[in-house]
Amino acid sequence: MNSGVVITGVGIVSPICPFDNMDLFWNTLCSGKDAVRRTSLPLLDFDRKWLAASVDLNDSQRKITPENKLMFIADKALRMTMDDAGFSEGLDAGLSVGTVLGNILYKEKKLIKVNEQKSKTEKEDDGRDIEKSSLSYVTEYLAAKYMLGGPKLTVSTACASGTDALGIAARKIWAGETDIMVAGGVDVLSDFAIFGFDALQALTDEKVRPFDRNRSGLALGEGAAFVVLESEAHALGRGARLYGKVLGYASRSDATHLTSPHREGRGLADAIKQAVLEAGLNTDQIGYINAHGTGTVYNDLMETKAIKRVFGRAAYDIPVSSTKSMLGHSFGAAGIIEAVCCLYSIKTGIIHPTINFQERDPECDLNYVPNAAMERDVNVAMSLSAGFGGQNSAVVLKKA
Amino acid sequence: MKTVITGRSAITAMNMDEVIFKLGEPIRHIRFVHDLGKVAVAGIGLLMNDAAIRFPVKNSDISIYIGIDDAIEEIKERYFNGILDEGILGVSPLFFPYTSPNAFVSQAAIAFDIRGESIVMPCRSSYRNAVQYADVCIRGGYTKMAVTGGLISEGRKTDAGENNYKAEFFFLEDREDAVKRGARIYQELSGRLV
Repeated sequence: MNSGVVITGVGIVSPICPFDNMDLFWNTLCSGKDAVRRTSLPLLDFDRKWLAASVDLNDSQRKITPENKLMFIADKALRMTMDDAGFSEGLDAGLSVGTVLGNILYKEKKLIKVNEQKSKTEKEDDGRDIEKSSLSYVTEYLAAKYMLGGPKLTVSTACASGTDALGIAARKIWAGETDIMVAGGVDVLSDFAIFGFDALQALTDEKVRPFDRNRSGLALGEGAAFVVLESEAHALGRGARLYGKVLGYASRSDATHLTSPHREGRGLADAIKQAVLEAGLNTDQIGYINAHGTGTVYNDLMETKAIKRVFGRAAYDIPVSSTKSMLGHSFGAAGIIEAVCCLYSIKTGIIHPTINFQERDPECDLNYVPNAAMERDVNVAMSLSAGFGGQNSAVVLKKA
Repeated sequence: MKTVITGRSAITAMNMDEVIFKLGEPIRHIRFVHDLGKVAVAGIGLLMNDAAIRFPVKNSDISIYIGIDDAIEEIKERYFNGILDEGILGVSPLFFPYTSPNAFVSQAAIAFDIRGESIVMPCRSSYRNAVQYADVCIRGGYTKMAVTGGLISEGRKTDAGENNYKAEFFFLEDREDAVKRGARIYQELSGRLV
């Protein structure tokens, strides 16, 4: 069993109450608010709208251009998290950031400009441009801005990036490399991803209905979220408020297909089993599962199978809900947002619902907390993520 | 617990085809969408042979921790330029998954049926983070063995096309386990290498 790593600060910028306090975000989420709506592409002028959940900027933030949005929301979420943990700049802490596409709108903007110029000779390609579109740029920028002196890591494991960033940060503390790690995830809606998922026929054109018989796909979302992880001794030493404890984390590869999950959820089941083992728990001690729950036919079925494979009959007693039913799929940010939802379920004794649930699928027959939040004293929660490339991750969080 | 290196490989896009051919039937027939995937599979295949690990592995004893530099950016540019040139008809569903850097490592996980962890860490120049983290995972008992190293481009796209990628990989495991299976030990993972 791992020694103590606790979470002492959280911050989220999501499509729901993006720049408000966490309690408002949580209460709104538990009320079942659907943030998904018809949205235009961020940069390209195209005569079509897609269902997506976007972070709307307020009037005073209108000067933020699309290509600067990622850095803006990442900075806001990190500031919120640092304030929440009672930390300021110049901290001897590490930073682990999960992102799938990074500053993709910056790259898009640059390519659009080059395309308009129709001349390669006019192409601006100085070192700074390359640097800004690098996946690790977000981490380097934030670490420099907040003067974080510890290890700096960027993690890109498709839609499991956020969960892996958190797990890797916890391992850095367990290994004794540092006492404090800030772990986060960030991604924004992009023309790039909307077209890509549309071409793969993964997007719904109706409602995001995870685990429902008539589920027809996911909606993309965006956001940024961070958590502060500390060794328990360090946190207790400074009298920090504790949101919860990280007990276990594991990642497993399906090793079967680049875009489809293993049909029986083999990799995810292995990740769940290993995370529970590392946590030093029995499966009957898991009180809530925040599912990856994208709303695609194959993900939700394989996830249900993976949960049943590990928990057996007990799976029917564990509430399982999908944050993505309300916030869409925010790629790198999703895993961290969902881990924070687990912490808030532990804190408040409320589990947020899976919305838009209408008809039970005979093969997806667990308790998905349909449409209305549920009161439940949660002592241990688990957050699951899966992604392209057969990525699967699970993290176990416990009341501190 | 001491982490040791029991396998190593280095490859460039110039010699990847020859290596892929020598890796045998199933690997030879993999369809690669991009040279980065081919470099990853060839480099990890060479590494597995050097470390005397038989494949397909078919279990989660081995994990992969790889650093990747801006090589991935060129693929994103190609994908997005397709959209700019042809609109929605220019979107390649085949190419899109490869705009995420984990795709190339996943392709190797699929090729050799490696079911442990598969972690990709984008970096600007050095892939030191990935090797350090692999060491943490061996010493922490999170994985029995690890493939680690980096996939990098030797510069931005040149007139020579895509043939500017290279990879360097190391096979890591705990010394005791390595001795038990009779593996050749190159050296202990030292601060110098990391």
